[in-house]
Amino acid sequence: MNKTRRTSNAIRVAVLSVLAIAMLVPLYILVINAFKPQQEILLSPLTLDPSTATTEFLEAAWNSTQFPVVDSYLFTLLLVLACNLVSIAVSVPAAYVIARTPGIVFGIVLMFFVAGMFIPAQIILVPTIFVLKAVGLMGTIPGLVFFMSATMIPFTLFIFSGYIRMLPRTLDEAAMIDGASRLRVIWTIVFPLMKPIVATAFVLNALSAWNDFVSPQLILGPGSQHKTITTGVYAAVSSYSTNYEVVFPTLLLAITPILVIFVVMQRFIMSGLATGAVKG
Amino acid sequence: MTAVDSARGATRAVPPVRARERRPARWRRVGGQLLNGALTLPALIIYVGLMVIPVGYAVYYSFTRYNGIPSQSPEWVGLDNYTRIFSDPAGEMHSSLLVTAVIAIVGSLIVNALALGLALLLQKKTRFNTFGRVVMFYPHVLSALIVGFLWQALLGPQGAINGLLNASVGSTVPFLSNPTVALWTLVGVIIWAQFGVQLILYIAGLQTVSAELQEAARIDGANRTQVFRHVTWPALAPTFTIALVTSLLSLLKAYDVVLGLTNGGPGDATQTWAYEILAVSFANNRVGLACAQAVLLIVIAAVLSFSIMAMRRRADAGAEALS
Repeated sequence: MNKTRRTSNAIRVAVLSVLAIAMLVPLYILVINAFKPQQEILLSPLTLDPSTATTEFLEAAWNSTQFPVVDSYLFTLLLVLACNLVSIAVSVPAAYVIARTPGIVFGIVLMFFVAGMFIPAQIILVPTIFVLKAVGLMGTIPGLVFFMSATMIPFTLFIFSGYIRMLPRTLDEAAMIDGASRLRVIWTIVFPLMKPIVATAFVLNALSAWNDFVSPQLILGPGSQHKTITTGVYAAVSSYSTNYEVVFPTLLLAITPILVIFVVMQRFIMSGLATGAVKG
Repeated sequence: MTAVDSARGATRAVPPVRARERRPARWRRVGGQLLNGALTLPALIIYVGLMVIPVGYAVYYSFTRYNGIPSQSPEWVGLDNYTRIFSDPAGEMHSSLLVTAVIAIVGSLIVNALALGLALLLQKKTRFNTFGRVVMFYPHVLSALIVGFLWQALLGPQGAINGLLNASVGSTVPFLSNPTVALWTLVGVIIWAQFGVQLILYIAGLQTVSAELQEAARIDGANRTQVFRHVTWPALAPTFTIALVTSLLSLLKAYDVVLGLTNGGPGDATQTWAYEILAVSFANNRVGLACAQAVLLIVIAAVLSFSIMAMRRRADAGAEALS
């Protein structure tokens, strides 16, 4: 019995190790080849010769005008924060009302929002461009932020209303009887209790805003001076895709911070995803 | 009863208070409803303005010929765009439908099988398993565009993997240059980047499966396969539904990864439906056609999701009974 269990565990570890290597090899190749000239990348992609390793190409990628690294990071960070601010700020009061008002009306309102989860953002972008043009927000940062927030609202509102339903009603009713206004109840009593679910929404929305390529590319336009990480990488790499001296260092600059954040916060990010799905 | 009530009311002096408050209370209720409405308004305005109205625009434009230039107005053509999609006179669209169907069907099957199998292996919380989860999940925190570019650099004719194959076996594999192979490469890359999400969902689902039931089945003499088939799998039903629907939705809209990996090529061998909408129809100013294609994709996504959820309702209910 003990022996078969040990063998099966050995098989399990072997299978997982092979898969883990398959997952990590691309990352390994990306990292080491960012320090090598084209000729060496083509000849020996799997090894790094310390004597010829150079940061020359990394520096070139850092100074690229197509992908201004620091500016792109700041701009992407701004988008992440702005979209989260807008989508969470409008979803909290709406979710509170939906969760706390009995009757069919707000049930229907919830279903109306939930339907949005089935509309892929990049698919609805083409007609959205004409709406943004009509209200004069096409090509502007607010237009981009509002569109990205609109795509986040259905899911955010859905998990918020589910969470508020589990909070005890007595708390906000007591505050209401003491004469607190509804807005005050929402922001000073209910909102602080929602920390875990707000964190979940923040993480998931941040990931989708961080990695969004189509919305900034189409709404701001490919020639925009404001580049996100994804549109910057696209501008720098798409026309030089066989020039690996450009590709690998650029990609390395684009993924390092998010991978570091992910490894540090992995438990939090993965449990956030699980919570989001269970509530969904 | 009435006597007692009135006596009680009299001692507490309720009737006069009630009379005084009746009208304000009603006003307050109306005011409360208005306030409720006002609190949902900001979310509604953004959502309706930039998601719902665009769907309306898409439906309207889908019945018109429109090149998107503001000075020109859409010209009503009825169902022309839809008949064009179904008859495909230029022979360009049906291949995209096929590519998307292959990605969605093969992709979601493999993603879910792989994710469930790995979830069973990574279920216990050990250091090694945490490492395993991180390694399987990390592609998801990268942008799909970057995943596409990365694999393009690895699998291209001059890429790292072909370089190695050339050096060791003396031949290369046309991962991205042969139409058929390129499609399967695309499916593989999408699976590589996607299954981590479903893996996390299955691990979370496994934690809700009753350990007592599994133990009881084992004591009754069930072997591992039987425990899985008769206890674990039925209890996982809602997780499977969610994992299937989420994987299907994200596979149906694959675009960024295509742009990075193959840019639709060689020829149109790896053009997905989303690529067709954004990089072919819309890029060539065929807004009406792009909108008809978008409407079609939204309808397909919605019909698929809701029919899966409807078909799974019984299994989901069964799982609730188990927990």
